[in-house]
Amino acid sequence: MSLPQQAAIESCIERFRSGTLTELELRDTLQSLADGEDKRQELLYLQAGTASVNSGVIGMFIARDGEIDEGPPDPDDMPYDTVMDALNDGWRIIKFPELAVILDETRLHGPGVEFILEKVR
Amino acid sequence: MRTHDCEPTLTDSQVLDFCKSGYLPLEGVVPDDVNQRVVDFMNDHAPHIEPGDFANHEPNEILDEDWFIDGVMCNPVAAGAVRCLLGRDFALPRIMSSHRVHMPARAYGWHRDGGSLSNHELNYLQVYYYPQDTTVEMGATAFLPGSHLYWPFGQGSSGLYGMYRGTVSSAAPAGSIFISAYSVWHRRTESTASGIRNLLKYNYWRTTAPQRDWIREPDFDPATAVYGPGPDAPPAPRNSYLAVARMYFWLCGRLDDFQALGGQGWPKVGPVDYQPYGYPGDPTDPRVHQQAV
Repeated sequence: MSLPQQAAIESCIERFRSGTLTELELRDTLQSLADGEDKRQELLYLQAGTASVNSGVIGMFIARDGEIDEGPPDPDDMPYDTVMDALNDGWRIIKFPELAVILDETRLHGPGVEFILEKVR
Repeated sequence: MRTHDCEPTLTDSQVLDFCKSGYLPLEGVVPDDVNQRVVDFMNDHAPHIEPGDFANHEPNEILDEDWFIDGVMCNPVAAGAVRCLLGRDFALPRIMSSHRVHMPARAYGWHRDGGSLSNHELNYLQVYYYPQDTTVEMGATAFLPGSHLYWPFGQGSSGLYGMYRGTVSSAAPAGSIFISAYSVWHRRTESTASGIRNLLKYNYWRTTAPQRDWIREPDFDPATAVYGPGPDAPPAPRNSYLAVARMYFWLCGRLDDFQALGGQGWPKVGPVDYQPYGYPGDPTDPRVHQQAV
């Protein structure tokens, strides 16, 4: 059980003890717990040319349901041309590129920089 | 130590191209009869593997076969290229690695092999040799051009990515040899064909100091040469041209002369029709100015 779920239960118990819990609030709490049971985090890793969200995508993979999805074999068929395209499709950035690493312009750290995005389904 | 020497076969432009990409394809350079002997040799010496599996083993006995030495290790085209990149009297392979796949098989992740030292020096080469026709469907090795200059191996999850933009396939006819900077990123791609795919990997080493002793092109001028990736090349990190120029200068035996002026000075990313400021030894080279003062 997740921390938010535990907090929702504790809040519900407190309101029950104080006599303020309504039937509607109880139903909402139970429904939210049921909705959250099967949700899982999907991670989208995007390698982009720069740390800007407008930057073009160079590479990708998705971690979902315990599997790694490399994306299409032809990079031209990748689902997103830019990081912004992924945002517009509902992905949320949870980690921006590590600027401390790429500040040293004398080093070539890889084909691009890495964004990590998530969806919870 | 077994060494070999031969005539250089690469030009200035080809050496510079190698500095940019980190690999050099030489298609169909090994004769068919040698290719068949290699396949037969591997069939006799390789461990049994089930479909979907692969085996990495070291049939080093093949290194003592005269027909293999002449046809593959000292193959005139391949050895001539190695001669240019590692100098004269380069050392011959000590280990022969066989990467044998029973197709179909899953892809392997991006990686650079253990022992990679990522810098501008080129003291050893990794060579990939296909003794049989190897198609995309047979999981031909993919390379990421320019990745030999990356330091270190990207970020933690680099090996999990699919096909990066700019990836090139080594699908090629039998007898093809790919000479690479050891640290270039590569991966076995997914195979959908059936049967056995053979790939041999081996190394050469430098024994002499680098110098510009390959084929000189009359029209090639290091001052105006293009150190950037070029319009048809895959995307490259912004400052990759500096690393390319440094590597080229090291190969020329002129690393002590290397310097980048910055701005619009030397080295140049794209073509120019003028002598750029800051070429080593040019009056705009800051070190020349310091000496004059």
